[in-house]
Amino acid sequence: MLLSVENLEVKYGNIQPLHGISFHVNEGEIVTLIGANGAGKTTSLHSICRLAPPEAPRVIAGDIKFRGESILKTSPSDVVKNLKMALVPEGRHIFGNLTVMENLELATYSREKGADLKQEYQRIFDLFPRLHERRQQRSESLSGGEQQMLAVGRALMTGCTFLLLDEPSMGLAPRLKYDLFRTLKRLNEEGMTILLIEQNASLALHLAHRGYVLDTGEIAAEGTSDELLGNPDVKKAYLGG
Amino acid sequence: MLVAIFQNIINALQWGSFYALIALGYTLVYGVLTLINFAHGDIFMVGAYIAFFVATFFLTTVGVPGWVALALTIPLTMILTSMVGVALERVAYRPLRRKGANRLYVVITALMCGLILQNANLALLGASRKAFPSMITEHVYNVGGVIFTDLKIAVIVTTILSFFALQKIVTKTKVGMAMRAISYDKFAVPLMGVPIDNIIVVTFVLGSGMAGLAGILFAMSYPILDPYMGALIGWKAFIAAVVGGIGDIRGAFLGGFLLGAVEIMVVAFFPSTFRDLIAFTVLLVILAFRPTGLFGVAKTTKI
Repeated sequence: MLLSVENLEVKYGNIQPLHGISFHVNEGEIVTLIGANGAGKTTSLHSICRLAPPEAPRVIAGDIKFRGESILKTSPSDVVKNLKMALVPEGRHIFGNLTVMENLELATYSREKGADLKQEYQRIFDLFPRLHERRQQRSESLSGGEQQMLAVGRALMTGCTFLLLDEPSMGLAPRLKYDLFRTLKRLNEEGMTILLIEQNASLALHLAHRGYVLDTGEIAAEGTSDELLGNPDVKKAYLGG
Repeated sequence: MLVAIFQNIINALQWGSFYALIALGYTLVYGVLTLINFAHGDIFMVGAYIAFFVATFFLTTVGVPGWVALALTIPLTMILTSMVGVALERVAYRPLRRKGANRLYVVITALMCGLILQNANLALLGASRKAFPSMITEHVYNVGGVIFTDLKIAVIVTTILSFFALQKIVTKTKVGMAMRAISYDKFAVPLMGVPIDNIIVVTFVLGSGMAGLAGILFAMSYPILDPYMGALIGWKAFIAAVVGGIGDIRGAFLGGFLLGAVEIMVVAFFPSTFRDLIAFTVLLVILAFRPTGLFGVAKTTKI
């Protein structure tokens, strides 16, 4: 088991968005968390990535383990550096004042000096040829779709083996959405473990191996994608009947 | 006439150098943390005092020749002043950042830190002024009627070189990229594997190092030190940074020289008591036309 979240309860100030949730991700899997707004999906990802206070949720009970060891004391940059987990946050959060290339370069900050990154840049540009065309542009001049590509490319340049994505399809045109999901599938086939949060439950379950349904900070259902796609409650609530 | 112009240009560049060096520190910290580090002028003062003690130590206690003392005093002063800046960050600003304190409290903390530095100096060293020891003999040159000293030229050249070094760090290195990235989106920086606190420490090292450099150059040029010497010059350098466009190091550099030039020009044509009045009026007019400063871009702050 690569990552396990165990009875996790967290608070932001006085608000408690997670009431003891448990889920896990195995190496090489695509797992999705689905659920309505406010169900605690983003909070779960932020907790896993150990984002620092004041932005981050405070763990009050339970544990988050990576390969069996608690990571509650790990700093967010060490999550990236040592655990090789990278988050593509909701809303992309690219560095608009940096060029596309600088965004990618910054993501290599914690990697070993002298590592040969040429091939990895090439891989990003193979996945997203648009980024290559625009590599010298300030990234705030990119379109929304291109910014999402950059956000994913940037996460990959951290050298991650475990990719966490928060609503990556939000605001994308349908074609771009499918392109992105195809890319995720390809990455997974090449060995990337993926934890995906998605409003579009149908799309997410068709990509993922397994899924969890979150409802107001608790796990309401879990199972393989096929099980969840066939579950009448899930169908009714998240798949439009 | 031409001679007078050149004379004033040299004077303006030298005087503006101090503002520019200090303004760089303001703008670096602001650029990264959107924090106006009002203690920065007093860090400059501390830098001058550190230079005083280091220089005195090498000249009298160790007894090395003046140029050796100078060669040792400059880097040592910059390092020690950096440590003061970093200590301030650790003790005063970081805890507030951790708790997500409102900006107002951070700015007030910065103001108080400045006052504490001033008054700690007063309490420890007394109110009497200190005379800065002379390490090198200044030579006066006269080129076609324009009079300048080697120290003046050294001040100007050092400032320009420091600017280019800083510009290189900010635009070409990964630490510099991280500094710019923090100013744009602090949330996403740790997600890139960048330890944000380290970048903030580097920012304070660079800014305070520049203030230390300004301190030693100022003390060599005007060798009288007192605990309040950093207050007014700090405020002026801050204004210079804002007029240049705070957050942009080119702006701080130009703003510093601009303020130096305005002050020197005012003194050249008016009684010296008019200096600050006219200088600030000019800056006010510039800001009225370009409220984001010469290099600044209008941007929405999220805090």
